[in-house]
Amino acid sequence: MAKESTTIDIGEPSTVTKSTSHAVVDEKKKSFVTAAGGGGDKRGLTIFDFLLRLAAIGITIGASSVMFTAEETLPFFTQFLQFQAGYDDFPTFQFFVIAIAIVASYLVLSLPFSIVTIVRPLAVAPRLILLISDTVVLTLTTAAAAAAASIVYLAHNGNTNTNWLPICQQFGDFCQTASTAVVAASISVVFFILLIVISAIALKRH
Amino acid sequence: MKSGQAEIVETSKAIQKSGLMSRRNAILEFILRIVAFFNTITSAILMATTNETLPFFAQFIRFHAEYSDLPALTFFVIANAVVSGYLILSLPLAFVHIVKSKTQNSRVLLIILDVAMLGLLTAGASSAAAIVYLAHKGNNNTNWFSICQQFNSFCERISGSLIGSFVAVFLLILLILLSAIALSRRH
Repeated sequence: MAKESTTIDIGEPSTVTKSTSHAVVDEKKKSFVTAAGGGGDKRGLTIFDFLLRLAAIGITIGASSVMFTAEETLPFFTQFLQFQAGYDDFPTFQFFVIAIAIVASYLVLSLPFSIVTIVRPLAVAPRLILLISDTVVLTLTTAAAAAAASIVYLAHNGNTNTNWLPICQQFGDFCQTASTAVVAASISVVFFILLIVISAIALKRH
Repeated sequence: MKSGQAEIVETSKAIQKSGLMSRRNAILEFILRIVAFFNTITSAILMATTNETLPFFAQFIRFHAEYSDLPALTFFVIANAVVSGYLILSLPLAFVHIVKSKTQNSRVLLIILDVAMLGLLTAGASSAAAIVYLAHKGNNNTNWFSICQQFNSFCERISGSLIGSFVAVFLLILLILLSAIALSRRH
């Protein structure tokens, strides 16, 4: 009888701990399963993120190269005005070309991180790194695009108060090409905003 | 049972610690928002109150300069005003983040709005910077003369007001960073 009681005593606490540990393991399993289920939505978002990055690479490389090759030589020579225009006549456009090139190379380098977030949808560190570096690069792209846009606006309209003449009336082709590059950079800014929003939504835990 | 209890005590300590960290995070965010607000409103006011009249009249040179003469500077003033208004309006939301614990959706909303405002502010600041650079240096190839040689105090004013705006851009980036870290930390 004493033996029975001892076996019962030893038996009870072990079953009690087993049931609590089972409960803990069940809870852990449940939370893991729900997290894995939530990983499905995240995977769709992350694939969209990857595709957006590919599109942004194309657009930024396009913008940078279009501005780089914007050049026009007028067929006649005027006494007061220069007859050749290229991107290196404007320091702002030089900054634009270099900055957008840096952004394009950053995007190429960030593709592996994006792939890692597709493969492991629950990993937090790659997403966080992507979000932070995307914000910094967004600032750089917006700065380059806005500065170039203000110079292009000035070239189109001039400014009577400061006696700055609109050069687009002589260099129409150059103006057109530069404007195209600025528009492409602005589209890439929109892409970057979308990328950051996707990263923020994917970081949210359920 | 003992190990289970120890586990419970450990996890509750960890939760307490993370609660403290997130509260510190939220308070830092609140303070950064206030500082960024002051920066943007100062920039907007500094630029909007530029007004210089030269004491003499010359035949070819204009004798009056203010911010509305250059559309990029007008855009700068408007962008700074909008962003400072947004920062003031987002202060209650940031305050709620300090107090409340389950703030995921509102934090995502705050990140999205912060990113939009960052884009607007950077666009305003950098387009104004391009024009200010042009005003300082001019451009020989397009015969755009530097106006700073006539309007000294106007030039100094517009250059100085850019600084506050760029500092606010940096602070907005920090704010987005803090929000992202707080989002990723939730259990």
